[in-house]
This record gives sequence, structure tokens and C-alpha cells, in this order.
Amino acid sequence: MMDKTVKIRTENLCFAYNGRTILRNSSMDFAEGEITAIVGPSGSGKSTFLLILNRLWEAIPRCALQGAVEMHFNGRYQDIYGRNYPVTLLRRQVGMVFQVPNPLPMSIYKNVAFPLQLKGGVAKENVRSRVEECLRKVRLWDEVHDRLHASALDLSGGQQQRLCMARALILRPEVLLLDEPTSALDHAAAKGIEQLLLELKQSCTILLVSHYLDQVSRIADSVVELNNGRLVRKVEYD
Amino acid sequence: MRRVLEQVVVHFSRLCGIILLGAVLTVIGYLFVHGWSSLGLSLIFGATPPLDALLMKRNVFNGLFPAMIGTLSLVVLAVCWAVPAGMAAGIYLAEYAGPKIKAVLNLFFDIMAGLPSIVVGLFGFAAAVFLNRKFSGAIHPCLLISSLALAFLVLPYITRTTQMALEGLPLSARMTALSLGATRLQNIVRVLVPQSLTGIVSGIILAIGRCAEDTAVIMLTGVVASTGVPRSLLSHYEALPFYIYYISAQYTDSEELATGYGAAIILLCICLVLFLLAFAIRKRISYYALYRA
Repeated sequence: MMDKTVKIRTENLCFAYNGRTILRNSSMDFAEGEITAIVGPSGSGKSTFLLILNRLWEAIPRCALQGAVEMHFNGRYQDIYGRNYPVTLLRRQVGMVFQVPNPLPMSIYKNVAFPLQLKGGVAKENVRSRVEECLRKVRLWDEVHDRLHASALDLSGGQQQRLCMARALILRPEVLLLDEPTSALDHAAAKGIEQLLLELKQSCTILLVSHYLDQVSRIADSVVELNNGRLVRKVEYD
Repeated sequence: MRRVLEQVVVHFSRLCGIILLGAVLTVIGYLFVHGWSSLGLSLIFGATPPLDALLMKRNVFNGLFPAMIGTLSLVVLAVCWAVPAGMAAGIYLAEYAGPKIKAVLNLFFDIMAGLPSIVVGLFGFAAAVFLNRKFSGAIHPCLLISSLALAFLVLPYITRTTQMALEGLPLSARMTALSLGATRLQNIVRVLVPQSLTGIVSGIILAIGRCAEDTAVIMLTGVVASTGVPRSLLSHYEALPFYIYYISAQYTDSEELATGYGAAIILLCICLVLFLLAFAIRKRISYYALYRA
């Protein structure tokens, strides 16, 4: 890990929700182009840790954070909590897929195209091709290409999760945060997502919260355990 | 014991539902039984040919047409004033206000919702007198003052329903667009408000109903018994609720009273049309906001 560029660096992170401490003085580096699995008992704060990395915890009331998080973007380390670093830019560079599929009540097409439309400045033809590219990546295109304008809420749970994955990928993020992304999928779909993650790590740093240790051993380059509010690196595979 | 209690609650709830439905049907049935005989074009247009009245070529003196136009103008104007302001206040309370400001404003809007309409009417009348004395003799109790007073009356309904609809969205819905790089405003405009439209439209429907039926406010702010179709925002106007009140208080024979029941049926029909319009607009906005590529 020492030879690789550090993509994410957290220093002395302390996080509390509603007066309850979730993280205590946690410092950890995450290497670029690797899949790091975050494991730990339920309620230990794994999902919260992901929310710290894209500042999404700020949407939740009664939370407090101390410490620093730096990410390596455009050749230099950026303090993502710095005043000059726009949170919208951060969230476009750091994609996230939640544990429970959360498609918006829109059409399949509009769901995937939505981040590009928010960002603006992308021609309609390019949007169409990017939507197709992302749906193909997550192996959903063949199932939905003839009903792109149907509601995304009519898809099955597994299809919705792959849709959310496609939506997170459309902005070509440099970091991808995945909160148990395969928990709603059947075995075959989960295998497909694992394969996709292995392909994506060439261009993307991936942090994966997972309870499936066999999955972790199959795809993760290293494992970090979150226990009693502290991050501890447990395994580093070659 | 628990099973018996559960059965009691279920049957009591069912009974209340039936009573409510029965009450609504009784009122509507009663109106139709007493007002059916008066319904017809002559009730609306009197002796004036309908086409001439609709094209504003001739005034209608002994029909409900001016009151229908007056009521429709009043409701549409009041809703037009109240919806943007009420929704903006609701969005502020749900999305931007801090806990202390929210507590104070919630209390303020609750008090506002409980204001008797006669007090609002009196305030509207006082405002008209003030404006007349300080600014222009052309300003007096009129359609504009009435619609503004009614908008003030229904503002808290729209504000609170907008606030409740937005606050009722789950955290996951709130976080989805933010996680995709949306700004706070984009999240509100493109995701949260379209998802809350059902709740917001409920508030607007309540407001429409209140504007259409309220008599106390308009009695003090510009309605008159007979003036014809309102020609401008600053003119007097007729309105169906005032006509119903006036006829039921002053009728001389049963035929005249039947026209009051007829006016009530027409008022219900106008409300129904406005409700359907509100639903159609909601459906259209939802489609454009959420589904159109």
C-alpha cells in the first residue's frame, strides 16, 4: 500500500450522532484503485463512515464531526471540508450506492440521466449514450432497453439496485462508496456486480461495506474493521 | 378482552365512516330535492339570452351569472395570491428554518389558521379604508381587497400542508439527489416538491373550498347583492355564498328560496370543477417534473 497513491486520507475523525459517539480519533489511508472492504458489527458506524466521505451526514440533524478528510483529486490533496471546496463537486466525484435501492419516482431513463441533468452542460445525444453505457455496465440494458420511459419503481429490487449503481456511475466518479450493494440481489446478479467492481477499480477507488466475508475475500484488496468507534486495518491482500 | 376491544374500535371506525358519508349524501340530496325545480338556464341568465350574457353584450340582472363569475374570480385570485406565498413559507419552514424560528412560526401559523373569518374581514375592511384615505379614492372594498383577505385566511392551510408534506418525506428520499450532486435548491425543486405534490394539493383544495364558501370576509370587503359581472379588480362584485345567505335571510316565497338552493348546487359544482382542475394540474406537473425525458 505504501507504493500506491493514497486517494483518501482521514485524520483524527470523531463523529457523534445525537450525543452518541460513533467514531473516535480514527485515522486511515485508502489507496487509489483498490477495493477496500469495511466490516464490523451492525450499528458500529460503517454506513455513517461512508456518509462522512461525501458529507451527506450534513443532511441529518443532530450530528457533529471533528477531524479532517482529504482526497486526492486533480493531482493534489483537497480538504473536502474546506471552505473553498464545493460540496456538490465532491458528491459528483464521490458516487454512492445505498443499502436499500433508492430510485427516484421517475422513469428508468430519467433516473440514470438525472445526475447529468443536474450538472448541466451535456448534450442530449451524449446523455443518451452515457445512459446506455452505464446500463450496459451494470448488465441492466438488455432487461430495460425497450421500456426506458416506464417508472423505475416498477423494477424488481435487484434491478432497482443495479439502476442505482448505473446512476452513480454516470458521472464517472473517482471514488465509489457502496453500502452493502448486493444485499438485495440474487446470487447471479451479485456475481455480476462483483465482476463490475473488479473492472471499475482500474479507474475508481472503491469502499465497500459488506457483511459477506466470502464476497470480501473474493474482491477486496484490503479489509478495514470498524469496532468501538475505531478503524483498524485487518487484512491487506497481495 | 383485547379481541373485543379491537372489534369495538373497528366497528366504531366503520360506523363513523358511514355516518360521515351519510351526512355528505344527506346534505347533497337535500339541496337537490329543494333546488332541483329551480335549476335551469333562467336561474343563471334570467331573461338575458345566454350567448349575449357570456359575450358580455348584455348585463344579467335577475340571474346567478354575475355571482358565478364573481365567485370564480374571487377563488382563482385568492388561490393565485395564496399558493406561491404559502408554498414558499412551507418550504422555508420544512427545509431552511432553524428549530427556534420554526417553533415560533409554527405557533404563528396555527394561530392564523384559527382566526375567525369575520376578524380577517374586518382587517380587510380597515385596510381598504386606510388605502382609500392615504393613497387613492379609487381604492375601496372591492374584488382585489376581498381576494387578498381570503388569501390571508387560507395562507396557513397551504403553508402547513406544504410543510407537512415535505417533512413527511423519508430521509432516504431527501438524501438521494444530494448524493448525486444536487444543490439544496435543486433537491427541493426537482425532487422534494414534486414528490410532495399530493399533500400540497390537499392544502390547495382545502383553500379552494374555504375561499368558495366564506361569506364573513367578503361581506366586509366588497361583495354586494346586485352589481353585475365585475369589470376590474377594483370593482364591487356578486358572489354565490353571499347570494345564498341573502336569499335565505330575506326570501318572500318558497320559489325564491328554491333559487337559493339552486345557487348552492351551482356553488358545489364550481368547487367540484376547481378540485378536478387542481388534480389535473398536479398530475401534469408531476409528469413534467418526474417523467418527461
